[in-house]
Amino acid sequence: MSTVESNDFGMSRRSFLKSAGVSVAFAGSSLGFASLGFAQETVLHAYGVTTAQMDDPSLISKATGIKLEFTPTDADIGVFMRDALANNIGETHDIMIFDGGTQDILGPQGFYAEIDETNPALDLWDRTPDFWKKSDISVYDGKTYGVPILGNCDAFAYFADAIGANPNGQDEIPYSVLYEDDRTRGRVALDRVFSQSLACMANFLKVNGRLQIEDPANLTPEQAKAVVDYAVERKKAGTFRTLHNSFEEQVQLIQNREVDVLECWEPAVKEAEKTMKDKAPVYAYAVEGGKKWGHGAYVPKQALERGNGEAIYKVLNYFLGGEFRAYQARDRSYAGPNMDLGVEYAEKSGWSPEQVEELRATDKKISRKMSNPNAFWAKPTAPHADVMEQEWQRFLSA
Amino acid sequence: MTALALSSSPRRRWRLPGTATGWFTGWFLVMWIGVVVLPLLIISAFSFFSMRQYQIVYDPTFATWTSLVETGRWVVVLRTIRFAVSVTFLEILVAFPFALWLAKGCRSAAVRAGVITLLTIPFFIDASSRIIVWRSILGTNGVVNNLLVGSGLIDKPLTWLLYSDFSVSFGMFGSYFPTAVFPIFLTLSLIDDDLIKASADLGASRLQTLRHVILPLAMPGIVGGIVFTFVPLMAAWIEPQLLGGGQVNLLGQSIQSALTNLNYPVAAALSTIVIAVLVLMLAALVVSLRGRFKMSSLFQSLDR
Repeated sequence: MSTVESNDFGMSRRSFLKSAGVSVAFAGSSLGFASLGFAQETVLHAYGVTTAQMDDPSLISKATGIKLEFTPTDADIGVFMRDALANNIGETHDIMIFDGGTQDILGPQGFYAEIDETNPALDLWDRTPDFWKKSDISVYDGKTYGVPILGNCDAFAYFADAIGANPNGQDEIPYSVLYEDDRTRGRVALDRVFSQSLACMANFLKVNGRLQIEDPANLTPEQAKAVVDYAVERKKAGTFRTLHNSFEEQVQLIQNREVDVLECWEPAVKEAEKTMKDKAPVYAYAVEGGKKWGHGAYVPKQALERGNGEAIYKVLNYFLGGEFRAYQARDRSYAGPNMDLGVEYAEKSGWSPEQVEELRATDKKISRKMSNPNAFWAKPTAPHADVMEQEWQRFLSA
Repeated sequence: MTALALSSSPRRRWRLPGTATGWFTGWFLVMWIGVVVLPLLIISAFSFFSMRQYQIVYDPTFATWTSLVETGRWVVVLRTIRFAVSVTFLEILVAFPFALWLAKGCRSAAVRAGVITLLTIPFFIDASSRIIVWRSILGTNGVVNNLLVGSGLIDKPLTWLLYSDFSVSFGMFGSYFPTAVFPIFLTLSLIDDDLIKASADLGASRLQTLRHVILPLAMPGIVGGIVFTFVPLMAAWIEPQLLGGGQVNLLGQSIQSALTNLNYPVAAALSTIVIAVLVLMLAALVVSLRGRFKMSSLFQSLDR
């Protein structure tokens, strides 16, 4: 008999113990502390990727009256799902922020609550473009589980002189410079994470008509094998110098000029620009588009049962507003829904004309990248993720 | 026998230990089984289940084990053993003469203390920080290549200095050198100098003294050095990660990759392999030294 480990979100053993603890605490407080009655700031607890965290969290408090205590995690889907499913993090946290796609599993299982699109506190929802609110960040099976808060389209960075490209960065560069270009052979870095590298390679083969692939982010076993066969062939041809594993490594590879082209996150280029100035590489507009991704804010059902709904929706609305947008674009080059509100906020708040212009440029850049028809949406919880990971090991072992 | 001893009577009934040593030994064994053996058995058991949508399917299957072959993960196992064996061999080869000099050749106690301190200090720094520095030194535009190209010894940078078998072996060698040196040094320090002098007085050459006096007496330290180097090398993760750059995939990274995808059965199977390899290698070591060396003498100072 096949038995899937169940997760009862009703009265689990953990819930029972917690309830018992709360009862005891309540009894204790009613005996001795009931009369204290301090006016308290509303505190919510968020758990999620660090990219969604504001450098200055007091801005959220000032704007919403709610203190958001953030527990950071990295972009490791395994850790996130473990915390959600096995550690039942919804019992202690009110908002969860992660790459879009977790709702495909955690939504139907009843861990995430559906977003109430008519909630009065969520007054920016209606003006939020469908591109974001109906995207894979928010929706699964016709139901909305998440509020999109930021996103980008990941491609690669290149040193223009190495591939003879215009250094203004406006050219569309093909992914072949990573895989098949003799000028960059042996000076290419890929991301070690299969959901990035394998998917982008699959998209390259798909767009160029070499393989029949429906979704590069969710390869069938046959497709994954065919893409990895290609990857192994390129590896044996000496194409790849290294596979990196972290943001810091990406920056180091750029700053040491260890490679000429690398798959990386756009903030790595921004970081390198601080020291390399105009010698820094360019983040590409790729012919094949790249990997669209976004972070969503999701609400564990237990958080609503705790009566935190009103405060939670205030914070969700803040994520759709101008202040959050402006700071995310300024600090990380990430855009998101309602970018126009970000520009408006910056203008009203007295940001310099250059900073405001940079926000507009970020908006235009992300729109251009996101609208490339060849770009595909990331799927961190792809149904075939295990097959892809296993095949990727064949590439790593080759 | 002191702990939880069986009665020698034909009925073989359990007796409670009668001494404090017996109680402590019994308590230690129970804890050891609970903290070490039981988790290992649980890990192994997980390798016979599978995952679906990030959740474990408790339906016994060999699918995980067959997938290790299909996906080439078995190559990683062999590669890891090759690295562990070759680096351990190199470590002992270099560590022994170094330890011999430190224990018997170095006459200044201050120099000896200084060398031991210098060997230890790097380990106060986090391993990642210590290893990642080598990237700037061994990289295409690193210090070594700049010196070689600048001096005209080579025309273009050597790419094999980084992200290669060489760089990973080099990183491992540096990381585990002290663990190879210290056990040998301690054993050599315990050898009575009079034994070495007596060997010389009886007409033995330096080589004969080394072969027939020092080496046999140093064997506990050498075996200790092998064990303390080989075991962590089987699970080494930082050196292949930072200096291999994805070109040298070892077991530690393969396990990490499986865990990232929440694939516990694969991670469990690979961990089981690591444990099995360690047990087999240590058993082979014990068998090969049988008759020449007692494993209990690894802790010879405890016998005194």
